[in-house]
Amino acid sequence: MPRRTKGSLEREVRAVLTAASQPLTPGQVRDALGGDLAYTTVLTVLSRLFEKGEVARETLGRGYAYTAPYDAAELAARRMALMLDDEADREAVLTRFVHGLQPEDEHLLRGLLSQ
Amino acid sequence: MTTSVVAALAAMLLFVAFGPRLGDRLPPAAATVVLTVGSVIVAGSTGLVLAVLALTWLGQVPLIASMADWSAAELDASSPIPEFIAVGGLALLLAAGLRLLIRAVGRGRALVEVRRAHRGAPALVIVVDSDRPDAFATPSPGGRIVVTSALTEALSPAEQRVVVAHEWAHLRLGHTWWLLLADLAEAVNPLLRPTTGVVRHAVERWADEHAAREVGNRELVARTIARVALLRHDAGNPAVIPAATGGQVPRRVRALLAPSPGRRPWLAAVLVVLLMCSAVTTVAVERTGDALFDGVGTVQER
Repeated sequence: MPRRTKGSLEREVRAVLTAASQPLTPGQVRDALGGDLAYTTVLTVLSRLFEKGEVARETLGRGYAYTAPYDAAELAARRMALMLDDEADREAVLTRFVHGLQPEDEHLLRGLLSQ
Repeated sequence: MTTSVVAALAAMLLFVAFGPRLGDRLPPAAATVVLTVGSVIVAGSTGLVLAVLALTWLGQVPLIASMADWSAAELDASSPIPEFIAVGGLALLLAAGLRLLIRAVGRGRALVEVRRAHRGAPALVIVVDSDRPDAFATPSPGGRIVVTSALTEALSPAEQRVVVAHEWAHLRLGHTWWLLLADLAEAVNPLLRPTTGVVRHAVERWADEHAAREVGNRELVARTIARVALLRHDAGNPAVIPAATGGQVPRRVRALLAPSPGRRPWLAAVLVVLLMCSAVTTVAVERTGDALFDGVGTVQER
Protein backbone atom coordinates (compact mmCIF):
# COMPACT_ATOMS: atom_id res chain seq x y z
CA MET A 1 0.00 0.00 0.00
CA PRO A 2 1.43 3.45 -0.88
CA ARG A 3 2.59 5.64 2.00
CA ARG A 4 0.06 8.22 3.02
CA THR A 5 0.96 11.84 3.57
CA LYS A 6 -0.01 13.52 6.83
CA GLY A 7 -2.79 15.50 5.16
CA SER A 8 -4.32 12.57 3.29
CA LEU A 9 -4.30 10.41 6.41
CA GLU A 10 -6.14 13.15 8.31
CA ARG A 11 -8.73 13.28 5.52
CA GLU A 12 -9.18 9.50 5.58
CA VAL A 13 -9.59 9.45 9.35
CA ARG A 14 -12.19 12.22 9.12
CA ALA A 15 -14.01 10.34 6.37
CA VAL A 16 -14.14 7.18 8.51
CA LEU A 17 -15.55 9.14 11.46
CA THR A 18 -18.10 10.94 9.26
CA ALA A 19 -19.32 7.65 7.82
CA ALA A 20 -19.65 5.99 11.22
CA SER A 21 -23.02 6.02 12.98
CA GLN A 22 -21.51 6.08 16.48
CA PRO A 23 -18.32 7.32 18.17
CA LEU A 24 -15.25 5.25 17.25
CA THR A 25 -12.25 4.30 19.38
CA PRO A 26 -8.77 4.68 17.86
CA GLY A 27 -8.65 0.88 17.44
CA GLN A 28 -11.91 0.87 15.47
CA VAL A 29 -10.65 3.74 13.30
CA ARG A 30 -7.47 1.79 12.58
CA ASP A 31 -9.48 -1.31 11.59
CA ALA A 32 -11.69 0.78 9.30
CA LEU A 33 -8.61 2.22 7.59
CA GLY A 34 -7.41 -1.24 6.62
CA GLY A 35 -5.36 -2.10 9.69
CA ASP A 36 -1.89 -1.63 8.20
CA LEU A 37 -1.25 1.44 10.36
CA ALA A 38 0.33 1.48 13.79
CA TYR A 39 -2.10 2.12 16.63
CA THR A 40 0.02 5.05 17.80
CA THR A 41 -0.10 6.64 14.33
CA VAL A 42 -3.89 6.63 14.37
CA LEU A 43 -3.89 7.94 17.92
CA THR A 44 -1.55 10.80 16.93
CA VAL A 45 -3.72 11.76 13.96
CA LEU A 46 -6.87 11.70 16.09
CA SER A 47 -5.36 13.90 18.80
CA ARG A 48 -4.09 16.33 16.20
CA LEU A 49 -7.52 16.57 14.60
CA PHE A 50 -9.03 17.10 18.04
CA GLU A 51 -6.54 19.88 18.85
CA LYS A 52 -7.43 21.57 15.57
CA GLY A 53 -11.09 21.35 16.58
CA GLU A 54 -12.01 19.25 13.56
CA VAL A 55 -13.31 16.21 15.48
CA ALA A 56 -15.02 15.82 18.86
CA ARG A 57 -14.38 13.15 21.47
CA GLU A 58 -15.97 11.65 24.55
CA THR A 59 -14.55 9.51 27.34
CA LEU A 60 -15.10 5.80 26.83
CA GLY A 61 -13.64 3.47 29.43
CA ARG A 62 -10.04 4.53 29.92
CA GLY A 63 -9.69 6.21 26.55
CA TYR A 64 -11.66 8.35 24.11
CA ALA A 65 -14.15 7.69 21.34
CA TYR A 66 -14.15 10.15 18.44
CA THR A 67 -16.87 11.65 16.23
CA ALA A 68 -16.85 14.07 13.29
CA PRO A 69 -19.94 16.21 13.92
CA TYR A 70 -19.11 19.12 11.56
CA ASP A 71 -20.13 19.64 7.95
CA ALA A 72 -17.86 21.27 5.34
CA ALA A 73 -18.98 24.81 6.20
CA GLU A 74 -18.51 24.34 9.95
CA LEU A 75 -15.15 22.69 9.38
CA ALA A 76 -13.90 25.62 7.30
CA ALA A 77 -15.16 28.07 9.90
CA ARG A 78 -13.38 26.20 12.70
CA ARG A 79 -10.16 26.13 10.70
CA MET A 80 -10.42 29.79 9.78
CA ALA A 81 -10.85 30.63 13.47
CA LEU A 82 -7.24 29.56 13.93
CA MET A 83 -6.23 32.12 11.28
CA LEU A 84 -7.41 35.03 13.42
CA ASP A 85 -4.17 35.32 15.38
CA ASP A 86 -1.79 37.85 13.98
CA GLU A 87 1.29 36.22 12.60
CA ALA A 88 3.63 38.11 10.30
CA ASP A 89 3.52 35.76 7.31
CA ARG A 90 -0.22 35.24 7.51
CA GLU A 91 -0.80 38.94 8.01
CA ALA A 92 1.01 39.51 4.69
CA VAL A 93 -1.27 37.23 2.68
CA LEU A 94 -4.62 38.29 4.19
CA THR A 95 -6.36 41.56 3.41
CA ARG A 96 -7.89 42.79 6.68
CA PHE A 97 -10.77 45.23 6.85
CA VAL A 98 -8.97 47.39 9.41
CA HIS A 99 -5.67 47.04 11.15
CA GLY A 100 -4.88 48.26 14.64
CA LEU A 101 -5.22 51.78 15.91
CA GLN A 102 -2.53 54.01 17.30
CA PRO A 103 -3.51 55.44 20.69
CA GLU A 104 -4.06 58.92 19.25
CA ASP A 105 -6.26 57.52 16.46
CA GLU A 106 -8.93 56.54 18.96
CA HIS A 107 -9.87 60.11 19.91
CA LEU A 108 -9.73 61.19 16.30
CA LEU A 109 -12.15 58.46 15.24
CA ARG A 110 -14.58 59.04 18.11
CA GLY A 111 -14.56 62.70 17.10
CA LEU A 112 -15.25 61.87 13.46
CA LEU A 113 -18.05 59.46 14.42
CA SER A 114 -19.85 61.95 16.64
CA GLN A 115 -19.94 64.62 13.94
CA MET B 1 30.89 51.79 -15.98
CA THR B 2 31.28 53.92 -12.85
CA THR B 3 28.99 56.52 -14.43
CA SER B 4 26.25 54.01 -15.17
CA VAL B 5 26.45 52.51 -11.67
CA VAL B 6 26.18 55.97 -10.09
CA ALA B 7 23.30 56.87 -12.43
CA ALA B 8 21.45 53.63 -11.63
CA LEU B 9 21.86 54.20 -7.88
CA ALA B 10 20.74 57.82 -8.26
CA ALA B 11 17.59 56.84 -10.18
CA MET B 12 16.85 54.21 -7.54
CA LEU B 13 17.29 56.65 -4.67
CA LEU B 14 15.10 59.23 -6.41
CA PHE B 15 12.26 56.71 -6.65
CA VAL B 16 12.76 55.48 -3.09
CA ALA B 17 12.69 59.06 -1.78
CA PHE B 18 9.94 60.61 -3.89
CA GLY B 19 7.88 57.56 -4.96
CA PRO B 20 5.98 57.26 -1.67
CA ARG B 21 5.26 61.01 -1.46
CA LEU B 22 4.02 61.27 -5.04
CA GLY B 23 2.21 57.92 -4.92
CA ASP B 24 0.34 58.96 -1.80
CA ARG B 25 -1.36 61.73 -3.78
CA LEU B 26 -2.42 59.49 -6.66
CA PRO B 27 -5.83 57.81 -6.86
CA PRO B 28 -5.55 54.48 -4.99
CA ALA B 29 -5.63 52.13 -8.00
CA ALA B 30 -2.94 54.09 -9.87
CA ALA B 31 -0.82 54.38 -6.72
CA THR B 32 -0.98 50.63 -6.12
CA VAL B 33 -0.01 49.71 -9.68
CA VAL B 34 2.71 52.34 -10.24
CA LEU B 35 4.35 51.91 -6.82
CA THR B 36 4.25 48.11 -6.91
CA VAL B 37 5.65 47.89 -10.43
CA GLY B 38 8.20 50.54 -9.38
CA SER B 39 9.21 48.52 -6.31
CA VAL B 40 9.76 45.44 -8.43
CA ILE B 41 11.88 47.41 -10.93
CA VAL B 42 13.93 48.95 -8.12
CA ALA B 43 14.40 45.54 -6.47
CA GLY B 44 15.49 44.02 -9.79
CA SER B 45 17.82 46.93 -10.42
CA THR B 46 19.27 46.57 -6.91
CA GLY B 47 20.01 42.90 -7.49
CA LEU B 48 21.54 43.46 -10.91
CA VAL B 49 23.77 46.39 -9.94
CA LEU B 50 25.01 44.54 -6.85
CA ALA B 51 25.66 41.43 -8.93
CA VAL B 52 27.75 43.35 -11.50
CA LEU B 53 29.74 45.04 -8.71
CA ALA B 54 30.28 41.71 -6.97
CA LEU B 55 31.41 40.06 -10.20
CA THR B 56 34.23 42.55 -10.75
CA TRP B 57 35.74 41.13 -7.57
CA LEU B 58 34.50 37.52 -7.78
CA GLY B 59 35.85 37.32 -11.35
CA GLN B 60 39.35 37.75 -9.98
CA VAL B 61 39.15 34.56 -7.93
CA PRO B 62 41.53 32.26 -9.88
CA LEU B 63 39.13 29.31 -10.06
CA ILE B 64 36.25 31.45 -11.37
CA ALA B 65 38.52 33.28 -13.81
CA SER B 66 39.84 30.05 -15.26
CA MET B 67 36.36 28.58 -15.57
CA ALA B 68 35.02 31.70 -17.22
CA ASP B 69 38.05 32.02 -19.49
CA TRP B 70 39.14 35.51 -18.66
CA SER B 71 42.31 36.87 -17.15
CA ALA B 72 42.13 37.67 -13.45
CA ALA B 73 45.09 40.07 -13.66
CA GLU B 74 43.61 41.98 -16.60
CA LEU B 75 40.26 42.21 -14.84
CA ASP B 76 42.00 43.59 -11.76
CA ALA B 77 43.81 46.16 -13.88
CA SER B 78 40.84 47.28 -15.99
CA SER B 79 38.00 47.19 -13.44
CA PRO B 80 37.09 50.74 -12.40
CA ILE B 81 35.36 49.49 -9.25
CA PRO B 82 37.45 49.69 -6.06
CA GLU B 83 37.76 46.35 -4.31
CA PHE B 84 35.99 47.42 -1.10
CA ILE B 85 32.94 48.51 -3.08
CA ALA B 86 32.86 45.26 -5.02
CA VAL B 87 33.16 43.20 -1.82
CA GLY B 88 30.51 45.38 -0.17
CA GLY B 89 28.27 44.76 -3.18
CA LEU B 90 28.72 41.03 -2.78
CA ALA B 91 27.84 41.18 0.91
CA LEU B 92 24.70 43.23 0.23
CA LEU B 93 23.73 40.90 -2.63
CA LEU B 94 23.98 37.84 -0.39
CA ALA B 95 22.01 39.58 2.37
CA ALA B 96 19.29 40.62 -0.11
CA GLY B 97 19.11 37.11 -1.55
CA LEU B 98 18.80 35.59 1.91
CA ARG B 99 16.10 38.04 3.00
CA LEU B 100 14.13 37.37 -0.18
CA LEU B 101 14.42 33.61 0.26
CA ILE B 102 13.32 33.66 3.90
CA ARG B 103 10.38 35.96 3.18
CA ALA B 104 9.26 34.10 0.06
CA VAL B 105 9.29 30.76 1.89
CA GLY B 106 7.40 32.21 4.88
CA ARG B 107 4.73 33.87 2.75
CA GLY B 108 4.45 30.77 0.55
CA ARG B 109 3.80 28.61 3.60
CA ALA B 110 1.16 31.01 4.90
CA LEU B 111 -0.55 30.95 1.47
CA VAL B 112 -0.72 27.14 1.53
CA GLU B 113 -1.91 27.10 5.15
CA VAL B 114 -4.72 29.58 4.47
CA ARG B 115 -5.79 27.79 1.32
CA ARG B 116 -5.94 24.45 3.13
CA ALA B 117 -7.98 25.98 5.91
CA HIS B 118 -10.88 26.96 3.66
CA ARG B 119 -10.72 24.01 1.32
CA GLY B 120 -14.20 22.59 0.85
CA ALA B 121 -15.96 25.63 2.30
CA PRO B 122 -19.20 25.79 0.30
CA ALA B 123 -19.87 29.55 0.58
CA LEU B 124 -17.96 32.72 -0.31
CA VAL B 125 -18.49 34.21 3.13
CA ILE B 126 -17.36 32.19 6.15
CA VAL B 127 -18.66 33.30 9.53
CA VAL B 128 -16.23 32.30 12.27
CA ASP B 129 -17.46 31.92 15.84
CA SER B 130 -15.24 34.33 17.77
CA ASP B 131 -15.63 37.12 20.30
CA ARG B 132 -13.01 39.12 18.45
CA PRO B 133 -14.44 41.56 15.87
CA ASP B 134 -12.52 40.96 12.67
CA ALA B 135 -12.94 40.55 8.92
CA PHE B 136 -10.51 39.65 6.17
CA ALA B 137 -10.29 38.13 2.70
CA THR B 138 -8.01 35.25 1.74
CA PRO B 139 -6.06 35.42 -1.54
CA SER B 140 -7.81 35.07 -4.88
CA PRO B 141 -8.52 33.07 -7.01
CA GLY B 142 -10.95 30.99 -5.00
CA GLY B 143 -10.50 33.19 -1.93
CA ARG B 144 -13.08 33.52 0.82
CA ILE B 145 -14.34 36.38 2.94
CA VAL B 146 -14.06 35.66 6.65
CA VAL B 147 -16.16 37.59 9.17
CA THR B 148 -16.35 36.83 12.89
CA SER B 149 -19.61 36.43 14.78
CA ALA B 150 -18.59 39.28 17.10
CA LEU B 151 -18.41 41.63 14.12
CA THR B 152 -21.71 40.60 12.52
CA GLU B 153 -23.48 40.93 15.88
CA ALA B 154 -22.14 44.46 16.40
CA LEU B 155 -22.88 45.80 12.90
CA SER B 156 -26.15 46.71 11.23
CA PRO B 157 -27.02 44.87 7.99
CA ALA B 158 -26.00 47.95 5.98
CA GLU B 159 -22.63 48.07 7.73
CA GLN B 160 -22.13 44.33 7.17
CA ARG B 161 -22.71 44.97 3.49
CA VAL B 162 -19.91 47.54 3.52
CA VAL B 163 -17.48 45.05 5.09
CA VAL B 164 -18.34 42.35 2.55
CA ALA B 165 -18.19 44.82 -0.38
CA HIS B 166 -14.74 46.01 0.76
CA GLU B 167 -13.37 42.48 1.13
CA TRP B 168 -15.02 41.42 -2.13
CA ALA B 169 -13.10 44.21 -3.88
CA HIS B 170 -9.83 42.89 -2.38
CA LEU B 171 -10.69 39.43 -3.68
CA ARG B 172 -11.85 40.42 -7.12
CA LEU B 173 -8.98 42.83 -7.79
CA GLY B 174 -6.34 40.37 -6.53
CA HIS B 175 -5.03 42.86 -3.97
CA THR B 176 -3.05 40.23 -2.04
CA TRP B 177 -0.79 39.73 -5.03
CA TRP B 178 0.05 43.42 -5.38
CA LEU B 179 0.83 43.53 -1.66
CA LEU B 180 2.98 40.41 -1.88
CA LEU B 181 4.98 41.76 -4.82
CA ALA B 182 5.71 45.01 -2.97
CA ASP B 183 6.48 43.03 0.18
CA LEU B 184 9.02 40.77 -1.60
CA ALA B 185 10.61 43.76 -3.37
CA GLU B 186 11.10 45.33 0.05
CA ALA B 187 12.88 42.17 1.20
CA VAL B 188 15.46 42.74 -1.57
CA ASN B 189 15.83 46.47 -0.90
CA PRO B 190 14.77 47.61 2.59
CA LEU B 191 14.87 51.23 1.42
CA LEU B 192 11.50 50.43 -0.21
CA ARG B 193 9.78 50.16 3.19
CA PRO B 194 8.00 53.55 2.97
CA THR B 195 6.87 52.67 -0.58
CA THR B 196 5.40 49.38 0.65
CA GLY B 197 3.59 51.25 3.42
CA VAL B 198 1.97 53.53 0.85
CA VAL B 199 0.97 50.51 -1.29
CA ARG B 200 -0.70 48.93 1.76
CA HIS B 201 -2.69 52.08 2.39
CA ALA B 202 -3.54 52.52 -1.30
CA VAL B 203 -4.94 48.99 -1.54
CA GLU B 204 -7.27 49.66 1.40
CA ARG B 205 -8.37 52.97 -0.14
CA TRP B 206 -8.97 51.20 -3.46
CA ALA B 207 -11.26 48.67 -1.76
CA ASP B 208 -12.96 51.47 0.23
CA GLU B 209 -13.81 53.36 -2.96
CA HIS B 210 -15.21 50.17 -4.50
CA ALA B 211 -17.34 49.51 -1.44
CA ALA B 212 -18.56 53.13 -1.53
CA ARG B 213 -19.66 52.71 -5.14
CA GLU B 214 -21.29 49.36 -4.34
CA VAL B 215 -23.39 50.65 -1.44
CA GLY B 216 -23.74 54.11 -2.97
CA ASN B 217 -22.87 55.93 0.25
CA ARG B 218 -19.35 57.18 1.07
CA GLU B 219 -20.32 58.33 4.55
CA LEU B 220 -21.68 54.91 5.46
CA VAL B 221 -18.37 53.32 4.44
CA ALA B 222 -16.45 55.92 6.47
CA ARG B 223 -18.59 55.27 9.56
CA THR B 224 -18.30 51.50 9.21
CA ILE B 225 -14.49 51.67 9.03
CA ALA B 226 -14.37 53.90 12.10
CA ARG B 227 -16.80 51.70 14.01
CA VAL B 228 -15.00 48.43 13.21
CA ALA B 229 -11.64 49.97 14.11
CA LEU B 230 -13.03 51.13 17.47
CA LEU B 231 -14.74 47.77 18.08
CA ARG B 232 -11.43 46.00 17.51
CA HIS B 233 -9.69 48.52 19.71
CA ASP B 234 -12.24 48.09 22.52
CA ALA B 235 -11.99 44.31 22.25
CA GLY B 236 -8.35 44.77 23.20
CA ASN B 237 -6.69 43.85 19.96
CA PRO B 238 -3.07 44.78 20.44
CA ALA B 239 -1.66 47.16 17.84
CA VAL B 240 1.10 44.82 16.72
CA ILE B 241 0.87 46.38 13.28
CA PRO B 242 3.91 47.83 11.54
CA ALA B 243 4.29 51.48 12.43
CA ALA B 244 3.84 52.40 8.77
CA THR B 245 0.14 51.54 8.95
CA GLY B 246 -0.44 53.74 12.01
CA GLY B 247 -2.80 56.63 11.46
CA GLN B 248 -4.18 54.97 8.35
CA VAL B 249 -7.66 54.35 9.66
CA PRO B 250 -8.36 58.06 10.30
CA ARG B 251 -6.90 58.85 6.88
CA ARG B 252 -9.21 56.34 5.20
CA VAL B 253 -12.20 57.77 7.04
CA ARG B 254 -11.29 61.35 6.12
CA ALA B 255 -10.70 60.45 2.48
CA LEU B 256 -14.19 58.98 2.31
CA LEU B 257 -15.78 62.01 3.96
CA ALA B 258 -14.10 64.25 1.34
CA PRO B 259 -15.21 64.23 -2.31
CA SER B 260 -13.78 61.38 -4.40
CA PRO B 261 -10.16 61.97 -5.44
CA GLY B 262 -9.08 63.57 -8.71
CA ARG B 263 -6.99 61.70 -11.25
CA ARG B 264 -3.70 63.66 -11.37
CA PRO B 265 -2.24 61.99 -14.49
CA TRP B 266 0.89 64.18 -14.42
CA LEU B 267 1.90 62.76 -11.04
CA ALA B 268 1.71 59.25 -12.42
CA ALA B 269 3.72 60.41 -15.43
CA VAL B 270 6.53 61.74 -13.19
CA LEU B 271 6.71 58.38 -11.43
CA VAL B 272 6.76 56.46 -14.71
CA VAL B 273 9.60 58.66 -16.00
CA LEU B 274 11.55 58.02 -12.77
CA LEU B 275 11.09 54.31 -13.24
CA MET B 276 12.14 54.45 -16.88
CA CYS B 277 15.35 56.22 -15.77
CA SER B 278 15.92 53.44 -13.27
CA ALA B 279 15.35 50.75 -15.91
CA VAL B 280 17.54 52.46 -18.54
CA THR B 281 20.45 53.05 -16.16
CA THR B 282 20.21 49.45 -14.95
CA VAL B 283 20.49 48.20 -18.51
CA ALA B 284 23.49 50.51 -18.94
CA VAL B 285 25.17 48.94 -15.89
CA GLU B 286 24.56 45.51 -17.33
CA ARG B 287 25.97 46.53 -20.75
CA THR B 288 29.09 48.24 -19.40
CA GLY B 289 29.68 45.31 -17.05
CA ASP B 290 29.37 42.96 -19.99
CA ALA B 291 31.82 45.07 -21.99
CA LEU B 292 34.33 44.98 -19.13
CA PHE B 293 34.31 41.19 -19.05
CA ASP B 294 34.41 40.93 -22.86
CA GLY B 295 37.53 43.13 -22.85
CA VAL B 296 39.49 40.94 -20.46
CA GLY B 297 38.82 37.64 -22.18
CA THR B 298 41.95 35.62 -22.91
CA VAL B 299 40.00 33.57 -25.45
CA GLN B 300 37.87 35.90 -27.52
CA GLU B 301 35.19 34.10 -29.45
CA ARG B 302 33.68 37.17 -31.02
